[in-house]
This record gives sequence, structure tokens and C-alpha cells, in this order.
Amino acid sequence: MYSDEELSVLLQKPDTQRKAFEYIVGQFSEQLYWMVRRMVLDHDDANDVLQNTFLKAWNGLASFQGQSKVTTWLSRIAINESIDFLRRQKNHGGVSTDEDMSIANDLMADTYFDGDETQALLQQAIARLPDVQRTVFQLRYFEDKKYSEISRLLNTSEGSLKASYHIAVKKISEFFKAYD
Amino acid sequence: MNEEKYLIERVGKENPFRVPEGYFDTLKAEVMARVDVSPLPVIPAEKKKAKVVRLRPIYYAVAASVCALFISVAAYVSFDRSSVDPTVQQAVAQQDSYDSFDAAADYIMVDNEAIYACLSSDY
Repeated sequence: MYSDEELSVLLQKPDTQRKAFEYIVGQFSEQLYWMVRRMVLDHDDANDVLQNTFLKAWNGLASFQGQSKVTTWLSRIAINESIDFLRRQKNHGGVSTDEDMSIANDLMADTYFDGDETQALLQQAIARLPDVQRTVFQLRYFEDKKYSEISRLLNTSEGSLKASYHIAVKKISEFFKAYD
Repeated sequence: MNEEKYLIERVGKENPFRVPEGYFDTLKAEVMARVDVSPLPVIPAEKKKAKVVRLRPIYYAVAASVCALFISVAAYVSFDRSSVDPTVQQAVAQQDSYDSFDAAADYIMVDNEAIYACLSSDY
């Protein structure tokens, strides 16, 4: 098990960087996958975004000087790639209305979605949030991340994050209260 | 936060997403296959700086003292020069200067090798 300091050094040396990178792919790919999957919902899309994340990390190795933890560095890239993906998807698919339940419907038909209707509706409600609110909600509600950690990931103040999260929770609660 | 409590009770926090069987088993190999066809990241080489040999201040003081001593001894040795033709005098002065320098060096029993060694030794 390598420490972050050890990894930072190994990732910078030409003769050890590939092996070190392979190590971090093995260590962190599953954790990153779930972060991405909760954002983009579809497995194939998540796989694409995750692979792009690692490729971007590899190509940007020179810029990683150990100034943050390896997980923080990779997570930042993964979050940015996920948000970029969602924005491209929105641009191609047009703007969804409040009555649009296509996400819930698609999930219910998805082989790799085991949730019931409530779970599908939850994802629909989350998908309606603005990108940053959606990200904050995912990281806080499902991953139980501390605001201090989310602040490092998103480079946003804890105060702003708390406000984003409270607004997201309020909107999703209102969605279900209106549905029930 | 009441609304968060409501949400947890209403929808829970379970993960409804699944992956194809064996997905994580092959993921690393797939990622590294893509990495291997990407050019190696270029890590900027450290900029080469001109090597500046810094000496301890004491060595500079020694060198200055040695030079001052040379000049003093050389001046003393050639102090009582009689007047002659300026051209000859210049040539003789030049030769005298060399002789004086050599004499000064002999006088203080320090040779060039010793001076160079003193100035160039690392600390």
C-alpha cells in the first residue's frame, strides 16, 4: 500500500510512473466509477466517462505535484468529466420540462437499474437540479462526504455547499410531496 | 434538517445501480490498454542553471590577502628603481614586475597550485 507522498514521487519518474498509475487505477477505479455512475446514470456512459477520466489524469501527470491527495485529484477530474458529459447530453437532447419523466422511464427499462419506481423518480428529481446542486447532493446524500472534503473537490466554500445542499433537499422533497 | 429526514424516510439511500458481471475485473486492463497507446506524459526537465561555485567567505579573504601581499612585496622589491629610458624602463619594469611577483611568491612560499586548490575547493 503506497502513501500519497510515495505515489506522488513514483508518478513523476518516467521509470515508475506507469506502474504507479496502474496501481492507482486498481485502487480507485471502483470508487470513482460509482461517483460517475450516480451522475450520469447509464453504465456505458459511466464507463466512457471513467476511462476518459483516467486518460486525462495520465496525460496531466506532469501537473500533479502531490499538492493534493491522489483521490482528490482523480475525483476532481471525474466530477468535471461527468458535468461536461451531462452538459453535452443536455445540449443534444434539448431542455427537459417539469413534466418530463423520460429519465425515470429510461431507468425502469435499464438492465443495470435494480431500483423500484421510487428510486427511478428520485433520480428524475435529482436530474432536474442544476449541475453543481446535483453534484453536491450526490456527494453529500449518497456518499456522506463532509462539506470540507466537498469544498476541496469543487473548490467552493463550505457555506455555499451547505446552501446548495439544503436547496437540493428542499426541491427533491417538494417533488415527492407533489407526486404523493 | 427536517426535510433531509423526510427524504431519507421517503426514498432511502440505497444504490439501485448495477454493473455487468466481471466489469471491475477487466476495468484496469482496459484503462491501461488505452494509457499504453497514449504518448508518455512529458514531465518538464529541471532547468539547467549555470554552475556557480560558491566559496566560503574566508577563502575570498585569503585570496584577497594573498594578492595584497604579492602587490606589497612586489612594490617593496622594485621600490628603489633608478631612472632610465621610458621604453626600456617600461620593458624592465614589466620584467621587474614578473620578477617581483616571482620573488614575492617565493618569499611567502605559496605556489600557484596551492592558490588554485584553495580557491576551487568545495565546502
